Amino acid sequence: MTRRRISLPAIGRVYLGLVLAFLYLPILVMAAMSFNSSKLYRLPIDWSTQWYVALAGNDKLIAAGTNSLIIAVVTTIIATALGTAVSLVFFRYRFRGKAVMQLLLFPPITIPWLIIGTAMLIFFFWVGIGRGLHAMILGHVALALPYVIVVVTARLHSFDPTLEEAARSLGAKAWQVSWRVTFPWIAPGLFAAALFAFAVSFDQFVISYFLAVPGVSTLPVEIYTSIRKGFTPEINAISTIIITFSMALLLGVARFYRFGGER
Amino acid sequence: MLKRFGRTAVGLAAAAGVALGAAQAMAEEIRVLNWQGYGTDEPWSLEKFSEHTGISVVHDYFNSEQEMLTKLRTNPGAYDVVLINSAFTRQAADEGLIQPIETGKITHLNDTSPGMRENANFIIDGKTYAIPWVWGVTSFAVDTTDFTEVPTSIEELWDPKHAGRVGWRDDAVEAVMFAAIATGQDINNPSDFDAIREKLRALKPQIRTFWSSEDEWNQFMSANEFDLATYWSGSASRSKTAFGLPVEFVIAEEGAIGWLDGLSIAKDAPNPEGAHKFINWMIDPDFYVAWDTNVGAPASANEKANAGLPETSFNRAVLGDSEKVSKVQFMGPMDDALREKILTLWQETKTYYQE
Amino acid sequence: MAAVTETGAAHRRRAQRLTIFAMTGPAYLWLALTIFLPLSAMAYFSFLTDAPFGNKQAFLTLENYRAFFQEDFYRTLMLRSFRLGAEVTFYCFLFGFPCALVLAKTIRGRWREALFLLVILPFWSNALVRIFSWTMVLRGNGVLETLVNWILPGTGPLNLMFSYPAIIVGLVHSYIPYMILTCYLSLQAIDDSLIEAARSLGAGRLTVLRRLILPLAMPGIFAGAVLIFVPVVGSFMEPRILGGRNGTFIGTIIEDQFTAVFNWPLGAALSFIMLGIVLMILLIASPALRRMR
Repeated sequence: MTRRRISLPAIGRVYLGLVLAFLYLPILVMAAMSFNSSKLYRLPIDWSTQWYVALAGNDKLIAAGTNSLIIAVVTTIIATALGTAVSLVFFRYRFRGKAVMQLLLFPPITIPWLIIGTAMLIFFFWVGIGRGLHAMILGHVALALPYVIVVVTARLHSFDPTLEEAARSLGAKAWQVSWRVTFPWIAPGLFAAALFAFAVSFDQFVISYFLAVPGVSTLPVEIYTSIRKGFTPEINAISTIIITFSMALLLGVARFYRFGGER
Repeated sequence: MLKRFGRTAVGLAAAAGVALGAAQAMAEEIRVLNWQGYGTDEPWSLEKFSEHTGISVVHDYFNSEQEMLTKLRTNPGAYDVVLINSAFTRQAADEGLIQPIETGKITHLNDTSPGMRENANFIIDGKTYAIPWVWGVTSFAVDTTDFTEVPTSIEELWDPKHAGRVGWRDDAVEAVMFAAIATGQDINNPSDFDAIREKLRALKPQIRTFWSSEDEWNQFMSANEFDLATYWSGSASRSKTAFGLPVEFVIAEEGAIGWLDGLSIAKDAPNPEGAHKFINWMIDPDFYVAWDTNVGAPASANEKANAGLPETSFNRAVLGDSEKVSKVQFMGPMDDALREKILTLWQETKTYYQE
Repeated sequence: MAAVTETGAAHRRRAQRLTIFAMTGPAYLWLALTIFLPLSAMAYFSFLTDAPFGNKQAFLTLENYRAFFQEDFYRTLMLRSFRLGAEVTFYCFLFGFPCALVLAKTIRGRWREALFLLVILPFWSNALVRIFSWTMVLRGNGVLETLVNWILPGTGPLNLMFSYPAIIVGLVHSYIPYMILTCYLSLQAIDDSLIEAARSLGAGRLTVLRRLILPLAMPGIFAGAVLIFVPVVGSFMEPRILGGRNGTFIGTIIEDQFTAVFNWPLGAALSFIMLGIVLMILLIASPALRRMR
């Protein structure tokens, strides 16, 4: 009986390990295949670094990767800021039209991106926004917004509004309430929302595909269009580099900054 | 707040615009719209072209003919050269998406096969809207390790021997055309849709999966997922030469689907002069022979180019065989109503395929 | 006196309206420009006979919506897509919720942050690349088959590729981080002393889970379910690549209307029908969920 109490968290950890293994299986395969010299991904693996050498000489793929990064960073900042403001309003106030506003968040995630992409292309063409990096940022922010709002709102729902009132009654100004009370509480939600926004933008290919101008593309666009020619292992190579780099970056962040907060 | 936000957005857009403009204003360039990896973007050729003419070539790609048309419609003045399947050339010209070509500037034009040069889809009201570039055949290829003898009939795709071992492309027009050939009908104007529906439904136990790109096809073949699969002639020769796969392309005795790709100049092209030069470069036998030998290409519309290939090359051995080629039915233009009818039939069939 | 408080209230109301407007204005303006206006154009197309391009005449019609009710196979596929959405959401909850619970309640300190990030990180790799990796894992002579045959010689081909389960595996893999993330955010907000109090009052582990943890985690579960269910219903890339012959869904059919034929009106009509059904399901589900809280 006493053993059961000890083993429950242990089971939990093993389970967590299994889920992580499932999540990382295809990523490990991708990394392994980037070192496989067979273009057809034959097994067993014939180890080689030729795709990394090829990648170093592939200016187009590297430029596309840089564009993706720029767009994703700008999108993350704008979407997180605008989305959080909306979440706060949804949480603090009851007002007419709120339900409609909440419903309006669903079309961007329900309607297949292909249709939104086509619609954006035509509309931007009509109103003169055109295509290019600026158009892609416009589109990406719109797609990331609902995710930010849903995630931050979910976090806010566990927030006790009396905390805000208490702070106010103790004489705190509105901005002090937001900064010293609300913000620390929703910080993990903000961080998660920013991660989402970044992922949505960094991974978005349909919208970018329609809004890219010739010669200026993003990584997913390059990947998507290259499928017809051949899904070259260079793509596995650059994906491996990106995932390794972001893992190092995020774990570094986790090392120095506690965003989850211990209570 | 609103105002500041607006200014930031405008500033961002402007910054992005400046960055784009700076990157593009450097040298004389032309913009080409094509499938990716389909000849025009071979780097060794573009380098030489740039040396010769001082023009650099920028590419944009499409993944379906409809998408190509949409890109032309919504980006007037963005492209110079565009590759269009002959079945769509007339529609593009009718919509005013492409402009007549000054044939005098295309010095290699007279070497192209007259039948293709004077294709009814390319010449409209006496004006030339496209230059024939490459052509090929859609039929099927077999894994020679699974066959003692290369089959000759299209019925092989329906043979229960190959249940669950057939690769098929998820393309409504192609699927219906295959069924039309198998039921002895005109591919451009099938009359008996019930027979086609039955024939396509009979494929249900046969199909292993749908393939959508050459790369996927190669991977599936290499992983031994298929005994035989529908395929394109040019890709089959690439699979053999570039990937060393044991495949043989078959033009069945019942017939096969022929297609012809032409190069056109977009309406309001920013650099029509460069566009003419590039098209001429693309139908030059020098380019084609190198492309087919080193990479693998569809058959050239330029007779001199085909003659420059080694005798054993796929495009001379298979597509040079006039007896075989005579069985090929070429794709004609298709009106939207028929295209829609074909798509509905194919989608209904695919729904039937679901367990 | 009464007059003063009334103007005070009116003033507050006006200030509140201004705050609401200033804080939601930018986001909704942005959405209007990039989503609502373009989609309105699409909605208008869905009532036309032809997409208004080129020199073709387009007329107003209800034909595109009628097509949905006339052809049986559209409904079959719509049902199939909603079933897929429900199944994927269910599996994501089944496997993701315990994972979030372990993360939020049994792991402590910096490990928790690190593991939490490890869960989201796969998200940052390209979806298409991930799906292609799955084809390498699942296909014949692939990673899984080689592995299984190495451990248990003579198992033979597994035939996992190009099947409905393959689509489920690929989609659950793509979407499960949403569920883990949103559940984690809700679970982490539950005060441990609440759980301890319940336990000390004699509640069993299952009772605590059912009566305390699950209801309090509901906002997170619901948010995760929405973020998964909604896009999966319209998915077309994963089913196409992993499902092979079994990969036909309403999303793939809509994609065909845009890429294979130039029938934007029908494609748009089918999407709006899909959107309508999704919104209806969400509307029905949300009061039920609110009552559970």
